[in-house]
Amino acid sequence: MTVDPNAATQSWPSPEPGRRSGPARYLIPALVAAAVAVALGAYGKVHDPTGTAFNLAGFSSTGAVKSWLATVAFFFAIVQLVSALMVYGKLPGPSWSATLHRWSGRVAFLVAVPVAVHCLYALGFQSYESRVLWHSLLGCFFFGVFSAKMLLLRSERLPGWLLPIVGGLVFTALTILWLTSALWFFRTFGVTT
Amino acid sequence: MKRSGPLLTLLAGLLVGLFMLSLNATTGEKPTASYVKPSPSTKASPGTAPARTSAPPSPSPSRTPVPEGVYTGRTDDDSSAVAITVRDDKAIAYVCDGHNIESWLQGDVKDDGSLRLTGKGGASLDGKVKGTKEIRGTANVGSGSYAFTIDKTKKSSGLYRANSTVAGAKIEGGWIVLPDGEQVGILKRDGKPSPAPRIDPETGAVTVDGQQLTARPVTP
Repeated sequence: MTVDPNAATQSWPSPEPGRRSGPARYLIPALVAAAVAVALGAYGKVHDPTGTAFNLAGFSSTGAVKSWLATVAFFFAIVQLVSALMVYGKLPGPSWSATLHRWSGRVAFLVAVPVAVHCLYALGFQSYESRVLWHSLLGCFFFGVFSAKMLLLRSERLPGWLLPIVGGLVFTALTILWLTSALWFFRTFGVTT
Repeated sequence: MKRSGPLLTLLAGLLVGLFMLSLNATTGEKPTASYVKPSPSTKASPGTAPARTSAPPSPSPSRTPVPEGVYTGRTDDDSSAVAITVRDDKAIAYVCDGHNIESWLQGDVKDDGSLRLTGKGGASLDGKVKGTKEIRGTANVGSGSYAFTIDKTKKSSGLYRANSTVAGAKIEGGWIVLPDGEQVGILKRDGKPSPAPRIDPETGAVTVDGQQLTARPVTP
């Protein structure tokens, strides 16, 4: 943890190609992203949803557990947005804003994983109404684009606009995921635990 | 390798995912405390990244007596519709002929996959799950006895209820949305039953006597 993955990237073009050739730096993350998204979607479609899975003691239903976990993830996603703006100097921020960005992102991601596992295991990829279809599509997209973001962070000399765009996609996807699931749950069943 | 942090984050996520999946596959869906918060592995992610790439455990069929979800269908004599929502080990059912006979029933799901639900006026429903997608049983509502075999719906809900007051009258509505899209429902105005107007199954919106109401999915 000595290198700051959020260090400002240099501007295009890079005169000499690094150890990895130019196109591969973009192609590999893009291909991995596509593979992740398609694999999740295919699993969700092929696997016969069990209808239910683990529950957490103290919660009335798996839906409530997921909604709260998703809300935690969404909260950290907002921290992500703010800390990213600090890292890029668009907002005044402390010197540890890069660390904040890294760790809030990790927490958000790791909290989102159990939710996704439950979605895929218990509910699957569904398309019976537009809310559900969008949620299914974006759920797969989210983990794909997140993988791409993580892999892109390892490259140097990216065009300066690339990480903000990809990061913005991650944030937007998570926001819509939250709106189409947790918010819907709270509105339908009430803010319950 | 430089900048291994992002890779470790991805790996940690993968491991958490696989761990949850194996929990699901092995423990079924018993609500236990075996659920583990992902935070410990968050802490562990920067230093230790086990290079374990075990294949995802093959998901075994669920072991709950009655898989959670909504079961809908018609009675064997085709006169009425039945919907049962199962959540955890509780179930709520609605039996409705779409004209004047209806009953809400509630009860527990037993470990052997049978359920015995009771409702007002001595109404009762006995059912037993067959396989993972079907409940077979009999409902006794009013003076009638209705045998039924109903299937689990793919949708998240096929059973809706609305309670409100419109123009001073107490409105109680219940709807069963069948897999083919047909709806069977009864709307009671101050206790007087009549066929219910259609709801929008997407939003639950329904217009009663000129006023817009929202029917909610029913859970036990």
